[in-house]
Parts: sequence; structure tokens; C-alpha cells
Amino acid sequence: MPDPFPETITLKWRDKTEWENWHHTIREPIEGIYELHYPPDNPQTTPAVLNSCTQDIQLAIKTAKARGLTLRAAGSAWSLSTAGIADSGIMLDTSRLKGRVKLNDGNIDPAYPGDDSDRRGLFLFQCGNLIAEINKLLESDAHRRAMRTTGAANGQTIVGASATGTHGSVIGRGAIHDQIVGLHLIVNEHRHVWLERVSRPVVKPAFAALLGAELIRSEALFNAAVMSFGSFGVIHNVLLETRPRFLLDAETYAPVAFDQDLRDLIATLDPSTHPKLKGKGDPYFLQIVVNPHSADAMINVMYERGWRTSHIPDYRMKAGKIGPGYDSLSVVGKIFEANKQIIPPFFKLMEMFIDKKPRTGSWGELFGYKAPQTKVGSGTVAVAHEDALKTIDLLIDLNKEIGPVPLVFGLRFVDRSDALLAFNRFDRTMVVSMDGIANGQAETFFRVSAERMEQAGIRYTQHWGKTNAYTPDRIRAAYGHGRVDSWIAARHQLMPDPADRAVFDNVYIRERGLAG
Amino acid sequence: MRRDLTLALLCAASVPLGGCASYLVVAPEPRYAGQPHEEGANSMLWSAVTAPYPGVVAEPCGDGEQLAMVRINRNFGQGLVTVLTLGLVSPVTVTYHCASPAPPPLGDFDTGSAAE
Repeated sequence: MPDPFPETITLKWRDKTEWENWHHTIREPIEGIYELHYPPDNPQTTPAVLNSCTQDIQLAIKTAKARGLTLRAAGSAWSLSTAGIADSGIMLDTSRLKGRVKLNDGNIDPAYPGDDSDRRGLFLFQCGNLIAEINKLLESDAHRRAMRTTGAANGQTIVGASATGTHGSVIGRGAIHDQIVGLHLIVNEHRHVWLERVSRPVVKPAFAALLGAELIRSEALFNAAVMSFGSFGVIHNVLLETRPRFLLDAETYAPVAFDQDLRDLIATLDPSTHPKLKGKGDPYFLQIVVNPHSADAMINVMYERGWRTSHIPDYRMKAGKIGPGYDSLSVVGKIFEANKQIIPPFFKLMEMFIDKKPRTGSWGELFGYKAPQTKVGSGTVAVAHEDALKTIDLLIDLNKEIGPVPLVFGLRFVDRSDALLAFNRFDRTMVVSMDGIANGQAETFFRVSAERMEQAGIRYTQHWGKTNAYTPDRIRAAYGHGRVDSWIAARHQLMPDPADRAVFDNVYIRERGLAG
Repeated sequence: MRRDLTLALLCAASVPLGGCASYLVVAPEPRYAGQPHEEGANSMLWSAVTAPYPGVVAEPCGDGEQLAMVRINRNFGQGLVTVLTLGLVSPVTVTYHCASPAPPPLGDFDTGSAAE
């Protein structure tokens, strides 16, 4: 009988042999789950509370290390890749850690380069805070702030979403991780650090001291750790820079022709090039979805508006009259594998269900709760904006050649990140999200599309948290040897003991040449 | 001939698919905590008796945790048992997701007393 896994009042061991992601597309063997709980009675977030959680996390790491197991922190299990899974090891469930702190003037370093608005909008969030919960807190009358961008969903935790590169499509802005200006990282059972950029110091040393963390200001370490998909230890807390809250007027145009006007819009991002957007101003958010099975596309556009005091956000999910069931994609995916010729008419039919009603809402409302659904398939590549049309044409041609595949192509636009392995690594990045149904056809398409882009000489990155075909060579081709080697060096610097690194190695990073 | 074959195929498909059903209850602002939990449940004697009793108890949900989502699923085999026993035995699979407690009140750190 093996020794039981040590527990505390807020660290509970659960015997479980498999870990499954939220969308039921990945199932991997594990040793078990360590559940982290916020202290009973839900007290206000204090240094003592956070320090007690730090001790629990360190106990979990110590236990994994002593037993020769790997460990990975997990939030909502939202990822479609195995980046966050401790294969045959311990999953550290952080989903209940929701402490939050608003920084006051006394916490902020005088060298912080942000303006008065930035100073009022610095919030510390513990790793288990959902994007939904952060939106609701920030957009309340008490704080009047907002996130600059998130992904389309809101069920991920802040650390899970940011550590895998979730990006959104806000013109002229980066991704979720680009809003993080401080990281509280637990690297082993003894050491935890507060990381900031040298170029953007934020907290006074006393703030890090309250958390018991060693303050390190380093461009190299911060830019590596902020995009490390759980490989640098456990990110316990993140410090977010926010913006004043705002409203968005959201419009959807569908179907629109995938014609020269749309190609010009994609190539230039100049709204005056497209008749639907001409004269309406510059969009805050722009997404174009191309249906590769027809000549149709959809434009989602959102324009920034000032906040109206009469606007009361309503974040609740509403029941509709009829729609796809929880497991519908599972059933449809199997039917498509039996007969792929019905894919094009199916996707054409789906256009009928696009909600084209204009909406006005806050960021958190418009990117709100969605009906839970299994077997969602998504593989995402990012290219430099100048390669946008070449990439889309290649993917449409590939669908004709080996398809039809049960996917559509969502085009999103994100600015460059300083994070070393950021998915959004080009000055202006165009993201192609190949979204649809997770089945064998989609898997094949994700794999072959990477090969074809290489043959066409298109430099690309892939989303760490979605189905990807990364190999060590592809990662180095995407980011360059300098960035990859710097990322590995930063990991070694923060965790010089190979035994510490081994705890956070998993198959995902081993297969991609990033472990060890 | 072709029409007959199509009808035959539809009838054949209706046998396994007819027993399948899935019903979902979800909180309007769900806070899913951890992994979902799955358990079998049985309604017998036209719901006069239930197993387990008093129903599925969401024991894995911790202190202060409620439910974010409940799904009742009946697969082909369970549907067949229900039909063959005329509802005397009606098994289903219940999947539920605990909800994490509401976030705590916002903290305000006093750095004045800490060492620089």
C-alpha cells in the first residue's frame, strides 16, 4: 500500500486515473488530482491567504518531486492541446483559487511608467479566476475598468488562457498575455519569484515581500515565463494592466462574398475598402470568417463607444428556442467521416443560424458565456499580415484537394508580443483559426496545412493551446534559434536543478525540444 | 427498390439512436470547478424507487460549492432496458460539474508596514 498523498485543509488529493479536457477531445492517464481550495469561509484576499495557498502549491510540488512524478497546474482544462497535462503525473487543480487585489498607490513603484489611468487599473488575480469573473469585477460600477482583449470564450482561467497564448482580435493590440505586467511564479518547494520587466517595473519591493516572493526584474525571464504553458512552474498570481471600461457596437454581416473587396480588407485592414464597413470608422475588433466550402464569408465588427451610465451589463446565459445539443458535434463528426460530401451543404445550412442582430454591450457581455459543447475542433496558425492572402488561398485550395473538411477559417488580427514564444510574434499577426468539428478529417487538415505552408515558404507559428503540429524544427523555424534558446536558458536560470525541471517536463514539451 | 432500402436503413438506424437522449441543466453564469463527475442512476417501478437514494449526491463538491452543470444522458442500452421493462427499470447516466465558490472580496494590501 503506497503512502497516502499528504493533504492540508485546503489541499485535497483525489484519486483519478484520467484527465479529460473541457471539450472532450483529449483524455490522458494521470496519477491523480491535487485540488487547491481557497480557505473556508471565503475571507478577503490577504497576504496571509495567498501565502497559505503558496505553501499548498509548494507541498504539491514537493510531493511530486519526491515520488518522481510530473506535475502541471490546470485551470478550466480548456486547451485543445496536451500542453497543460502532466502525463501520468499529478494535475494541480487551481480552479478554486480566486483571490483578487486592487493595487493602491502605496503598492506601486515610483518608476512605474504607466499613466494615472494605468495606475488605477492594476489588479492582482490568483490563477483560478475565470475570464468571466474578471470581466464582471472590472466592469462593475465600483471599478469601471475592462480587459483590453480576451478570446471569444470566457470560461478559461486567466493563467490557463494567458499561458497558452489566447489572443482575440483587437486591432492594434496584443493578446491576453500582453496585459500581464507581473507574474508570481512558484518554481519549486522552496523558491517563488515575482517577475516583472525591467522596462516596466510595477510593484514596490515591499509588495513582493508581502507574498514572500523574491523580486526579479528581468526582460529575459519575464518574456520567457509569461508564455510557457506551465513549464516554468506554477503561476500562482498575475498582475493585470486594465483599461477604462467601454461599450462596443457589434455588427455581423453574413453572407458576404469572398471577393476582391473582402480581399482588400484582409490585405489592408482599411475599413474604407469594404462597402459594409466604409464610413463607419475604425473597428476596435474585426473578425472575418471564411467558409471554404462556398464563396461566402462573415464579418464580425465592433466599434468602441463610451460607457453609458444607463447601461447595466447582463452577463447571464439565456436559453434559446432550439439549437445544437451538447454532443451534437460528436454525432455530426462521425457522419461526416462516413460521407464527406455532405460537409459543404451542412456548413451552408449553418449560415442560416448566424445571429445577425446588432448588439451593444461591454466586452464581458459580448464575449460571454456560451453553450457548453463537446468535440470542438480547432487548430490555429499565425502568419505575418503580409502573408495573409497567400495563406488563406493555400488553405482554401487544400480544402478542395483533400477535403471537404468540417472546418471554417476565422481570420483575426493581433499585434506583436514581446513574449519569446508568443503565438503573436509578427509585427501585425494574422491568425487563421481553423474551427469546426474534432474528427479525423480535421486532424489530417491541421497536419497537412503545416506541411503545405512550409512548402509555400510561409513563416508561421501555431497556437500552443490548440491542436498543433509543432516539432522542434518547426518551433525553431517559427521563432528563430535565439528566441528558443533564450526561453530554454531562462527556464534553466529559474530552475537550475534538473530535478525541478523534471517535475514540469511533460511529453508535450519533450516532443517539441523544449524540455530537459 | 432504392426507396425501400432507404426506409429500411432509417428504421435500422432508429433502433440504436431512438434510445439516446441527453438533457442539460446549466447555471446562467457557470463557475466550473475541476473535472466533471459521472455516476449511474436508476429509476424503478415508474419512479416509485430510486437508486441511489435520495438521488445522486454530489459528494466531490467541496464546502460552499454548488453545481455548475448537470447532464442526464441515456444511451442505447439504457433506452433498450427502459423499453423492454416497460419503464419498470429506467437507467441513466448523470454527469455533474461542481461550481467553485464565489470569488472572495477584493483585497487591499498595505505595503507600508512591510520591509522595503
